[in-house]
Amino acid sequence: MFSDEVIQMLIQGIGETLYMTLASTLFGYLFGLPMGILLTISDKEGIRPNAILYKIMDVIANIVRSVPFLILLIVLIPFTRMIVGKSYGSTATIVPLVVAAVPYIARMVESSLREVDAGVIEAARSMGASTFTIVTKVLLVEARTSLIVGVTITLGTILGYSAMAGTVGGGGLGDIAIRYGYYRYEAGIMVVTVVLLILLVQIFQTIGMKLSVHLDKRK
Amino acid sequence: MAQIEVRHLTKIFTSKDAKVDALKDINLEIEQGDIYGIIGMSGAGKSTLVRCLNYLEKPTKGEVLIDGKDLGKMSEKELLKQRKDIAMIFQHFNLLMQKNVVDNVSFPLLIQGVKKKEARKKAKELLGIVGLEEKELAYPAQLSGGQKQRVAIARALASDPRILLCDEATSALDPQTTASILELLKDINMRFGITIVIITHQMSVIRKICSHVAIMSQGEIRERGMVEEIFSHPKTKEARELILKDSDEGHSGNSGRTQDRLMEAKKIRIVFSENSSFEPVIANMVLKTGRAVNILRADTKNVGGIAKGEMILGLPDDKKLQKEIEDYIVERGLEIEEVTGDV
Repeated sequence: MFSDEVIQMLIQGIGETLYMTLASTLFGYLFGLPMGILLTISDKEGIRPNAILYKIMDVIANIVRSVPFLILLIVLIPFTRMIVGKSYGSTATIVPLVVAAVPYIARMVESSLREVDAGVIEAARSMGASTFTIVTKVLLVEARTSLIVGVTITLGTILGYSAMAGTVGGGGLGDIAIRYGYYRYEAGIMVVTVVLLILLVQIFQTIGMKLSVHLDKRK
Repeated sequence: MAQIEVRHLTKIFTSKDAKVDALKDINLEIEQGDIYGIIGMSGAGKSTLVRCLNYLEKPTKGEVLIDGKDLGKMSEKELLKQRKDIAMIFQHFNLLMQKNVVDNVSFPLLIQGVKKKEARKKAKELLGIVGLEEKELAYPAQLSGGQKQRVAIARALASDPRILLCDEATSALDPQTTASILELLKDINMRFGITIVIITHQMSVIRKICSHVAIMSQGEIRERGMVEEIFSHPKTKEARELILKDSDEGHSGNSGRTQDRLMEAKKIRIVFSENSSFEPVIANMVLKTGRAVNILRADTKNVGGIAKGEMILGLPDDKKLQKEIEDYIVERGLEIEEVTGDV
């Protein structure tokens, strides 16, 4: 149906998409997880209330999340160039993806951690647990299934964003869909890339859900 | 020196539009080895009080001294260390749902930096004490309420505490399970000499295991003392209400409608001590005076190993006869007091 070249290109596209999605999610959690934890514990109902810290992060998260990703991608070009050295290609796309993902992840983490039963936290406090111990041994452990669901949802979202980055030369399946499907009217290739994107999301979703159910000991 | 000493404790919760005095000038001494009950209706402030004993809740004013050491003067670090001595169990057990039983019990030890292997070994011993050794690999979700509370008790014992705080620990359990948990607490108190502070709204809990009781209402302690003493001579309205509620719980149906029938000319409460409850005083009295009295309520129960009884009699209108009856009862060494309309 397709020439070897096209197939080769599609395989490369899958690789680039996976690379961008996974790397961005990883770096996103590197910053987003601590931010989510800080949001949770500094909240006035949290274990270390701190109104100023909470407000600052709350505002940052809201600002970044209200900028459409495509705009963010363009606004961040100088920043991307500073970090990666160039503003196009898969590696360069990771920079705006991470920036967009961090507040999103922080909110996901925050909502997961909020689900942890206040009574269990109180029990840990009554045993003399420090804030750090409560975070690492109670919050993250008790919320782990919800956190994994969060990772799954994040992967899907970032995969979508990475496809959007294709419009400005970001590489990956989105890039192929735009160049072939949109500019050259090759509907066949576009359909295949869309199907591949759907498949990838499906796979992430299935693995994530299986894992979270497997790790949930509440039933 | 009392092991737990509470002095002029006041706690005020302030929110945007309201100020709530949760605790008003509470004073309390609890001795080493006591099983001390704090009872009150919900909203009385008893949960706040117990949380002040380990400073989970910082008092607005006043002091909490544990073995003479003021918790308010401790640094954060000292306070975390002090909490090792003051374990706590809860109404809803508050176990880690994602950890199995043995890991839950090991948890306080791991917090203190004990090695995992040692912690597990100790956890298994403790599970033996609470009778759950075969459940060590189960997760809390697979256990019944009573079993969960046993795990929580094992966890509380892990750090070798000297004080155990129980916050409505049996309120979510059925009567049989409650009885077995109370039995376990009593056993722990005797075996390890751990002081136990029990917060509850059920007088039956106090009656079954407590040596001392404080009755709380609207942030204040209304009455406190030995359980036996309070049961036989409740001085305050709150105490009487709670005792009455307790007997209603015990024999629902029989005494549910006392209020309606208590419209006699004069009502007296007779309190039996251990020796007289076997003597047919009332029957003898009726035979002697030749006048029937109306027994409005009668109740005997086992308080801390001593049989205690009380009876409320409705007396005839005749003042002279009332005096005769009262004198007869007092002669028999019983104590009486007049009961007013709301009992």
